[in-house]
Amino acid sequence: MDVLPLVLSLLYQFVTGAAFFFLAALGLVIILGMMNIINLAHGELMMIGAYTATITYHAGVPFWLAAILGFFVAAAFGAVLELLIVRRFYGRELGALVVTWGVSLVLGQGALLFFGPFLPSIGIPGGSFSYGDFSFSDYWLILVFISLLLILGLWWLYNRTSYGLQAKATMQNAEMAKSLGVRTSHIYTLTFSLGAGLAGLSGALLAPTVTIAPFMGQQFVAPAFITVVVGGATNVIVGAVASSALLAAVKTPIGMAFGAFSGTVALLLAALIIIRIMPNGISASLQKYFTRRTGRAMR
Amino acid sequence: MDLGTVIETRALSKRFGGVVAADNVNFKVRSGELRCMIGPNGAGKSTLFAMLCGIERADSGQIFIFGQDVTRMQAFRRVRLGVGLTFQTNRAFHELSVRENLTIPQASAKLENKEAGQARFEFALDAFELDPNDETKAAELTHNQLQWLEIAMILVGYPSLILLDEPAAGMASDETLRTAKVLKYLNSTGLTTVVVEHDMAFVKNVAQTVTVLHQGQIFAEGSVAEITAHEDVRKIYLGWA
Amino acid sequence: MSTIVGLIGGGADIGRTRVFWVGFGVVVLLFLLYPTQTSAFRVSNVSFYLLNIPLGLGMALLWGYCGVLSFGHVAYFGIAGYTYGVIAGNLSGNPFGPLAGVAGGLLASALVAGIFGYFVFYARVQKWIIPILTLVLTLLLETFLGQTAGYQWRIGSVLLGGYNGMTGIPWFQLGGFVFEGYSFYYLCLFLVLACYFGLRMLLNSNFGQVVVAIREDELRTELLGYDIRARQWAVFVLSAMLAGLSGLLYVQWGNYITPSQVGLLQAALPVIWAAVGGTTSLLAVVISAFTLNWVTYTLSSQGNQYAMVIIGALLVGTMLFFPRGIVVMVAERLGRLVTRRPTPSRP
Repeated sequence: MDVLPLVLSLLYQFVTGAAFFFLAALGLVIILGMMNIINLAHGELMMIGAYTATITYHAGVPFWLAAILGFFVAAAFGAVLELLIVRRFYGRELGALVVTWGVSLVLGQGALLFFGPFLPSIGIPGGSFSYGDFSFSDYWLILVFISLLLILGLWWLYNRTSYGLQAKATMQNAEMAKSLGVRTSHIYTLTFSLGAGLAGLSGALLAPTVTIAPFMGQQFVAPAFITVVVGGATNVIVGAVASSALLAAVKTPIGMAFGAFSGTVALLLAALIIIRIMPNGISASLQKYFTRRTGRAMR
Repeated sequence: MDLGTVIETRALSKRFGGVVAADNVNFKVRSGELRCMIGPNGAGKSTLFAMLCGIERADSGQIFIFGQDVTRMQAFRRVRLGVGLTFQTNRAFHELSVRENLTIPQASAKLENKEAGQARFEFALDAFELDPNDETKAAELTHNQLQWLEIAMILVGYPSLILLDEPAAGMASDETLRTAKVLKYLNSTGLTTVVVEHDMAFVKNVAQTVTVLHQGQIFAEGSVAEITAHEDVRKIYLGWA
Repeated sequence: MSTIVGLIGGGADIGRTRVFWVGFGVVVLLFLLYPTQTSAFRVSNVSFYLLNIPLGLGMALLWGYCGVLSFGHVAYFGIAGYTYGVIAGNLSGNPFGPLAGVAGGLLASALVAGIFGYFVFYARVQKWIIPILTLVLTLLLETFLGQTAGYQWRIGSVLLGGYNGMTGIPWFQLGGFVFEGYSFYYLCLFLVLACYFGLRMLLNSNFGQVVVAIREDELRTELLGYDIRARQWAVFVLSAMLAGLSGLLYVQWGNYITPSQVGLLQAALPVIWAAVGGTTSLLAVVISAFTLNWVTYTLSSQGNQYAMVIIGALLVGTMLFFPRGIVVMVAERLGRLVTRRPTPSRP
């Protein structure tokens, strides 16, 4: 029995699985890390990105451009949401959860009423190739690559730009940042917008792989939330990456052996067990480990 | 360990990242004592206090309360051994009434201390002028009354040991004196009392023995007179050396 | 007897004066007389509004009094309903079948909540994790139940039914007496009143006071000697059983249950009833649950597509402008009649 194709297939499943979790959770993670708010309209922001991409794609716009448009439209929605609603709930996490859930209902149902139950789907760009008994999709490998680019891009954004510096200062101590001249309300709006935009981008990128419908965001909601819960809010990028990898490592073998649904159930169980051991998520435990070793904060 | 020891820590240590908050602390309090813990900011008083309560876990070492090893014991179980605790920032239930604040603690009362405990509680109510049937929301009380309310609250459980973190914080001299008098009286009835305090006037009024903490270690221990005369204690407080 | 009166009259909920209780009595009387004045169809509708109230009460208990928000509470509604269907369906000849079904349904809800609650409360997780994980649980349950179409998905002789759900669920009966139509209405009314008064008494007792203390300041309550995790867990399980009770009544009302009952849209509803009513008052949530069920049911049976958009907008509006709940804030305005405390006396 030819082992190499099997190994490659497992690796492929693992890596694309991790990319899936990462992309699904990305926007949520940015907002959580900054404002300690879980945006329950996350699935709908992904849907907005997907819808924008779909509509513009079918109007002739090339897919990659359509996806980027998805980012901006979702970001715009995010900015409006933050300015009108979310900013009244800073410091009230549970209230923010509930109000964003109300928003998600309005957006989802609104999309249903406005656009009807389905939009025509986007075919998966690129083709696929086989190796041994297994086939590998070009597009998914591209998504993995894009995820890596996004990770690098975010690292650069938070560690090399003035926005990133101001954002980190605001995260640590908003009062202090304000008194040092950081316009914290702008930072909040920008960050929420960024998180929304990234959700839209993810939605657009994942659109070719799913049916385009008003509640399409829902299928990403459970994996996104689990990723965020397991990753924790201490260091969102590290948490998201570590969490995506861990969850993919759980889901891939179980999904292969017992089917996709069992894989998702295993995820919930894994999440419950992980939070029992590491209540503040992986990023918090990693942070503790690093400070113990070096006495310095984790980058 | 003899039965007269209420609190004993052995080689208790704790660090936070690079900061040593507690360094091999051997702290001992005997039954019936009124001990004050003092020390400059950052000396480790709050950490030691938190470890005694069970809010923080020690990195190494042991803690014994009433002769039992409580090092790994959860906070609420330690309280059930007969310990009452107040916090540095007032944690009475501000949104609830005075009456509710004084009835909520009741189910965890240590019934073998009932007579003595009941007497102490009623004394405190009287001395602090608190009415157990008062429906006023706690948030509407003055700062001093809130501090006194929290002390009264922990007496409801009939504790044999009370640990107070800066009970006179924010009080003017009259109220500080009253607080000191009440604590002295309660201690004279046999209630072992440990107080973390900054206010030297309070300490002088109240303490029998004073423990001075500095950089996570017990720097000096003795009577009030001994401590205030101690050259090195004055140095660490005033920053010479 | 006076303790019972004291427990009912205590400050845990709005409404303690004589005027209030007279008004309450009048309303109950109206409900008792209602079936004599209208058609069986309308009575059935009102039964539907009533049967959802225990679910709302469970939310109020957990969220308002204990400070724990569960987004996926409908999962326990569904678990109880499906369990009843399986047990009673398999014991269909047996006169004790329905009773066993009820017991099984409540037990199943309690068991799942107990296990889930253990992981969540004893891990001392941050507050926002609980709503997220409860939501994930109910979504997973929906997905699972949705793919149970086909003959191989059955327990005993009862088919789970996939997306179309379980049908032909047997009526609940005691002895030979079947609860349907009017008798079902009175059963719902009785259970709603029993739950309401039971909870009111519980919350006025020391148990309930400590629950509120936990919500106010967990650390302080723990350091008064209370095992707060055990108590939160107990309240969680109790509120899950209340949700289960609504589920049990639901399968009586329609003799069917579908996976959508545990889905995302349904999950939003109890949160909305509690938020709109005001989580800190049981009575407010009873009122809002009844009213909102009436609104959504009427809107959707008229084919109105906008029902969920309106409900979502209502939630957003309530959170923005009526943070303590519309009913509670209206009651506060009504002032002296329904305050929870008499005017404070100054020292």
